[in-house]
Amino acid sequence: MNSFLTPAIAGLAAGGTYALLGVCAVFTYRLVAVVNFTGAAIGSAGTFALIALTESGYPTFPSVIAGILVGAAVGVLIGFIMTRWFAEANSSTKAAVTAALLVGLIAIGLRLTGGQHPRVMPDLFPGSAFRMAGVEVTIASVLTIGLAVLFTVLSDLFLNRTRIGLHLRALSDRPLAAELIGVKVRLLSLLVWGATGAFTTFALMIIAPQRSPNFMTLSLLVVPALAAALVGLFRSFWLTLAGGILLGVVEGLASSVDSISQYRSAIPFLVILAVLLWSQREARWDEAR
Amino acid sequence: MHWKSALLSGVFAAIGIGALTGGAAAAGPTCANGTIKVGAVSTITGPADFSEVPKATQAAFDAVNAAGGINGCKIEYTISDDKADPAVAAQAARDLIDNKEAVALVGSGSLLDCAVNAVNYSRKKISSVQGLGVDAACFASPSVAPVNVGPFTLSTAMGYYATNVLKSQKFCAFFIIIGGTQEAYKKGIEDWEKISGQKVHLLDLTLPFQGDLTPYVIKARDAGCDTVLTNQVEPQVVQLIKTVDAQKITGINWLFLAPGYTVQVAKALADTKQPIYVGTEWEPFTETGSAANAQWMADMNTAGRPLTAFSQGGYLAAKMFLKVIEGIDGEVTRESVTKALLEMKPISDPLAGSPYVFGEAKTHSPMRATKVMKLENGAWKVETPEWVVLPDAK
Repeated sequence: MNSFLTPAIAGLAAGGTYALLGVCAVFTYRLVAVVNFTGAAIGSAGTFALIALTESGYPTFPSVIAGILVGAAVGVLIGFIMTRWFAEANSSTKAAVTAALLVGLIAIGLRLTGGQHPRVMPDLFPGSAFRMAGVEVTIASVLTIGLAVLFTVLSDLFLNRTRIGLHLRALSDRPLAAELIGVKVRLLSLLVWGATGAFTTFALMIIAPQRSPNFMTLSLLVVPALAAALVGLFRSFWLTLAGGILLGVVEGLASSVDSISQYRSAIPFLVILAVLLWSQREARWDEAR
Repeated sequence: MHWKSALLSGVFAAIGIGALTGGAAAAGPTCANGTIKVGAVSTITGPADFSEVPKATQAAFDAVNAAGGINGCKIEYTISDDKADPAVAAQAARDLIDNKEAVALVGSGSLLDCAVNAVNYSRKKISSVQGLGVDAACFASPSVAPVNVGPFTLSTAMGYYATNVLKSQKFCAFFIIIGGTQEAYKKGIEDWEKISGQKVHLLDLTLPFQGDLTPYVIKARDAGCDTVLTNQVEPQVVQLIKTVDAQKITGINWLFLAPGYTVQVAKALADTKQPIYVGTEWEPFTETGSAANAQWMADMNTAGRPLTAFSQGGYLAAKMFLKVIEGIDGEVTRESVTKALLEMKPISDPLAGSPYVFGEAKTHSPMRATKVMKLENGAWKVETPEWVVLPDAK
């Protein structure tokens, strides 16, 4: 009876995570034109700052603030590298640079956080919100999905209705032209990097307690998140949101069917492939290249 | 010291040295130029760090060397990092065998040493007393015999404990399958079925290495499992139990293998009320008051090495190897060491629940005993003061 509903609901927790991180990825892309592979790693850095502080006995709330600041700082640092040296590079070069930075961040992160050993992660929002089809939907998952929706609405409004939003879009589409008409390009870009760094950190602080608490697995959440962003073709926040949640639900469903569940982790790649094929369906070869 | 006894001991020492230089006349092991060369291929950098294993072997050899060596022969020990890279691992083994002229491999702990090198070891007629057998090939090769139980036999042993002590009726197992481990885990469960006469209630070989575990704990609950065994490593153990708690699941015993048995896991799960058990490879390393651990702890403290389960493995491998070469009459060479290992009688050590033997079998998995630890308020407590020894599968 509940044979499909139960695993689908069970996949919601993961779906919210993918959606939230996916929306962050789209936000970064639309404002600074970078497919950012380091998103989740930046958030992990801030989250591990929180863990380090609470483990050494500091109270939770100030540690959360400090962690978010660390996340923002790492975001600004990555942003500085990208705007200082790769501002004029094309988007595939930028994506490759962030992928390289991700490898570096993971290596440093694993060293600093004690490798594969688990850490004591404070549960910021413990408990369960409600029960549905025999699955406890945790407050953390409701919050993740809620935040993803909120962020989607706000980003849409911000980009389309505000003057800064307009500037930022100009910045991403025609950086040189934007600079010529007096938009403070560097400053705005760094601001965007810092803000998304802070936001992803907060998102990961909510997600981390339900995840394998080590630096690498948290950083690699970026893969399904980018798959979700691709569903929105790195433009639409709403489609990204839907894509992320759908991805989680499909993963949940897949784990209930033995014959396909061992290929479960390949689902994001299948989604990426399907979206690419679909989005290029009417393109001629020359344009599609 | 009295002058007479000093003189006497001097005379005896002179006779001893004379006997050594005399060579062939002496009983016991001898060596060509004062050294016995031994190597290890271990994963030190890369995705995992098993360096504690060979470093403990090193500490044990250093202690013997400081006390004069084996019959005057010093052990020269080389640890090679395989970086979890098959090409590097193969090169490291070739270097140890051909250039360093190692007589044996002792105390290796690696993600892929056995899988990559076991065939080459057989061909070169060199034996590996593996400190920590990780991959399935370590337990399926004529040239490798680990001093640890290993994840596959330990799965059988934990199932045996679940049936006999926890009185499990619906035993379920979830495994993460990496590389060629699927058949080995399946066989581990089949062996348990033969020993217990039960059928596994649910066997899932698709547990993800990373990703959300909610669907899996729901699956275990809805299948009615009363005991769940997984082969997860530290961070995933924490994640699984946190997910179980979030889903408010009760009434299931959660069993894990040796990788879950760390102080960090206990700390991270201090708040949970779930019944959590882990099987150890050796005498529980957190039992610092245990007599079985005393010698190992003393030697590790002298060497300034941390007291971890990994270091027990490296230490035990060194001890077994030393016992075997002490019994060699004549020169210690690759041939004589391999021969001695093939012909050795089982050796017992308080650190392990089974006697260690290399022997002539086509595959080796001599260690078949575990102690079960239970998590209580953020610390591991010994649940079975006596070893849980696995009977042979019929």
